[in-house]
Amino acid sequence: MSRVVVRNARLGEGDEPHDLYFKDGLIEGLDLGGSTDEFFEAEGNLALPAFIDLHAHLREPGQVVKEDLSTGLAAATAGGYGTVISMANTEPPIDEPGLVAELITRSKRLGKARLRPAASLSKGMAGNQLTDFAALKQAGAVMITDDGIPVEDSHLMRRACEYAAELDLVIQTHSEDPSLRGDGVINEGEVSQRLGLPGNPISAEVIMIARDCEIAHFTGGHVHIAHVSSRRGMEVIRAYKAEGTKVTAEVTPHHLTLTDKISENFNPIHKVAPPLRREEDVKYLQNILNSGEVDCIGTDHAPHTLAEKQRDFLEAPFGIANIEVAFPLLYTRLVTTGILKLTQLVHLLTTGPAKVMGWPKPNLQPGSPADVTLVDLDNKRAVKPEAFKSRAKFSPWDGDNLMGWPFMTFVRGQQAYSRDT
Amino acid sequence: METVAIEIPEPTEMLNSITPRHLLDLNDWSLADVETLFETSDVMAQVMGRTIKKVPALQGFTIGTLFFENSTRTRISFERAARAQSADVVSFASGNSSMSKGESLKDTLRTIDAMQADLYVVRHQVAGVPHQLTQWTQASIVNAGDGRRAHPTQALLDAYTFKTRYKDFQGFPGMKLAIVGDIAHSRVARSNIALWTKLGARIALCGPATLVPPEFAQLPGVTRHHRLEEALEEASAVMALRLQHERMTSGLMPSITEYASRYQITEEALRLAHPNALVFHPGPINRDVEISGGLADSERSVIEAQVANGVPIRMAVLYTLLVGKK
Amino acid sequence: MTDRKTTLLNSQEVSRALTRIAHEITERNRGAEQLALIGVHTRGVPIAKRLAGLIERFEGVMPEVGELDITLYRDDLTEIALQPIVKKTDVPFNIQGLRIVLCDDVLYTGRTVRASLDALIDLGRPAVIQLAALVDRGHRELPIRADYVGKNIPTSKQEIIKVKLLEIDGTDGVELMEVP
Repeated sequence: MSRVVVRNARLGEGDEPHDLYFKDGLIEGLDLGGSTDEFFEAEGNLALPAFIDLHAHLREPGQVVKEDLSTGLAAATAGGYGTVISMANTEPPIDEPGLVAELITRSKRLGKARLRPAASLSKGMAGNQLTDFAALKQAGAVMITDDGIPVEDSHLMRRACEYAAELDLVIQTHSEDPSLRGDGVINEGEVSQRLGLPGNPISAEVIMIARDCEIAHFTGGHVHIAHVSSRRGMEVIRAYKAEGTKVTAEVTPHHLTLTDKISENFNPIHKVAPPLRREEDVKYLQNILNSGEVDCIGTDHAPHTLAEKQRDFLEAPFGIANIEVAFPLLYTRLVTTGILKLTQLVHLLTTGPAKVMGWPKPNLQPGSPADVTLVDLDNKRAVKPEAFKSRAKFSPWDGDNLMGWPFMTFVRGQQAYSRDT
Repeated sequence: METVAIEIPEPTEMLNSITPRHLLDLNDWSLADVETLFETSDVMAQVMGRTIKKVPALQGFTIGTLFFENSTRTRISFERAARAQSADVVSFASGNSSMSKGESLKDTLRTIDAMQADLYVVRHQVAGVPHQLTQWTQASIVNAGDGRRAHPTQALLDAYTFKTRYKDFQGFPGMKLAIVGDIAHSRVARSNIALWTKLGARIALCGPATLVPPEFAQLPGVTRHHRLEEALEEASAVMALRLQHERMTSGLMPSITEYASRYQITEEALRLAHPNALVFHPGPINRDVEISGGLADSERSVIEAQVANGVPIRMAVLYTLLVGKK
Repeated sequence: MTDRKTTLLNSQEVSRALTRIAHEITERNRGAEQLALIGVHTRGVPIAKRLAGLIERFEGVMPEVGELDITLYRDDLTEIALQPIVKKTDVPFNIQGLRIVLCDDVLYTGRTVRASLDALIDLGRPAVIQLAALVDRGHRELPIRADYVGKNIPTSKQEIIKVKLLEIDGTDGVELMEVP
């Protein structure tokens, strides 16, 4: 019913520009000609499949002062994302099918990125009793996770994996051993000792990753390890993958670009779990991205109010909001510097996440969903948090000059974001 | 237009460096700043020795004490230092309705800052709060203790006490300071390490492995020991830190008896140190835990001098930060 | 910045002025009993010491000598851009009931003297306080006058008086400089 053309788009760097046609929410083809209901100008810029985020906190229901579906999904499309998996640690947590259905209905009306809710692993996220995975899946949940907190009880984790395996559901884990993590607020090491802040050692992550991988191994379930922040954590995952265990690894933009030294200015804007690590871990993660060991990049977009982030370092909540700057940040810091190939970055944001979830591979071939983002690789612009669509109008990268800004995003063939609006 | 008559001070009387605006820790203070501060403290000590313990140097300035974490002794020491120089003092202590837990620091400060103090003395149980506060006020900030991180005036009064009380004092280089106890959780330890190494002394840290993290051994001029005898050898200053009972309950330390048997500073242990060695403690002491009762009461102990020196040191700090502010 | 320098007093004239002041002090105070000379930092101190030495020569009695630092009493502290260093006050005797002569190099606005009076009175209650200044350059802003003056030198506010003393500057003299 609706035909749209995006003129002068390049599908790859160095390509000739083409006119990209959408019809009824799907990609129709290139340079087809004919009349259209709407047209947009890409001005020779890159057209990419819209990105997929397997990990964002949209805070609805119950925490909407930090973010809600409308602002969160708008922020996502501004960041070039077409699909977002929202985390379940809301108030109340998403542990009932009704809550899942409600989120899906509400999000459809917004005309922004597609919402695929995750549901919690345990009732009330209390870590005691499993939720009804099948009913939740039926209502539209695509992932099971208690993310925000680790699943402390190994027995519960085992049963969750066994049950989810049969239902073909992905279990995402926040892998940190709570007793080793303690009251740690930054990475334990030279910096934390000097700053006199309680430290969270890498071992807390490594031990829990090992536990979660082992459980995946012997139950045959699929465990997706969120926000891996350390070399040792990745090495454990690599070892299990080599044996055929169904485990996948996600890394966040902040763990790829910031180190624990940034907390020397005591700004809780950088307080996050797992914490920002030492330079050697950041460099290690950057360097293995080309190899395919990391399955995808997930933002772990975690907005809070400015007042909350202006408390003291112990009181301030954990989390970095980054979905609007994820692509430009990674493009500028990793691709323009030669560490990461552009095609690999796009893979980590599109094909990688789709593969983890078992979804069709995103592409711009005829018949694929018309979820497309247009990105200007060359224009350098400063990060301006006051202009963010997100409620969290502050950023660790405030004022940084970045390139690679998405300026238009289409979802289901409709324009969901344009820089000018 | 009449020009204003200004008596131009002699160049020799001026400090060479730019006066620091805050005292958050000792990182931004140069060796020259510290030495000048000690000289100013001498003068302040003299003022406090007179019948009239007051000078008008800070008249018209308002000093606020913000003690999110309570400490009567330190707060009173700062307030005396302020009042002895004729400054006005306003006190906020935790439990005060202006300072509620969980409120953003910026909002808390904004309510308090309505009185436009020229300087705040801040103590907080979390590291970094004084740094954070500097963003949201024009006032100078003096750190009276932030979490485990720093307690610069304590270190200054400790070093000053050593300088003024050590027999045949000839400077800090060549001196050895032994700090014994719970280094990991101690802002007194961290600040003394920063200051005494800046002054040229070397430091031996001593305590159970759970309380003396290995990262400290990487600091220049610092060695790490678990046996008291090694740490005390030739030390001219021995500083015992307070052992807090939470350390026992949280699995960091077996028991008080075990700690005392291995790390208590006694007259006998002190025989390994330099014959003129002085014994320090930031207080309040756990008698016969960190330090034997007999030693605490002996002449080797400068614990009372430390407390007494707190006021002139803090007077000098307030004076240095406020005078000359435009 | 070019300064035009004029010598107002050479080293001999400084000596003579101090000798005369010493005589005037003993004359007014009827000798050197109960007398104390207190020099205001910095150059008031050698002046006080020299006057005391001269008085001892004339009277055979050495008056008490002290040093006063008035940095903590100045009323213009906040206007000083750089950090004024505080020096020690050294008055090793009880000033109660004594006849004190405050000694300074230049008397100008009178604010230094006001601060000196405050500092002195915080130390005790003298019987009498008098003021000796090597140079009086006028432009008083407070009702203060010197009891003993080496030389009266009317100046304009653009001018600077530099007093040099052997003990501090290596030579004695008083110079006038003009600041454009």
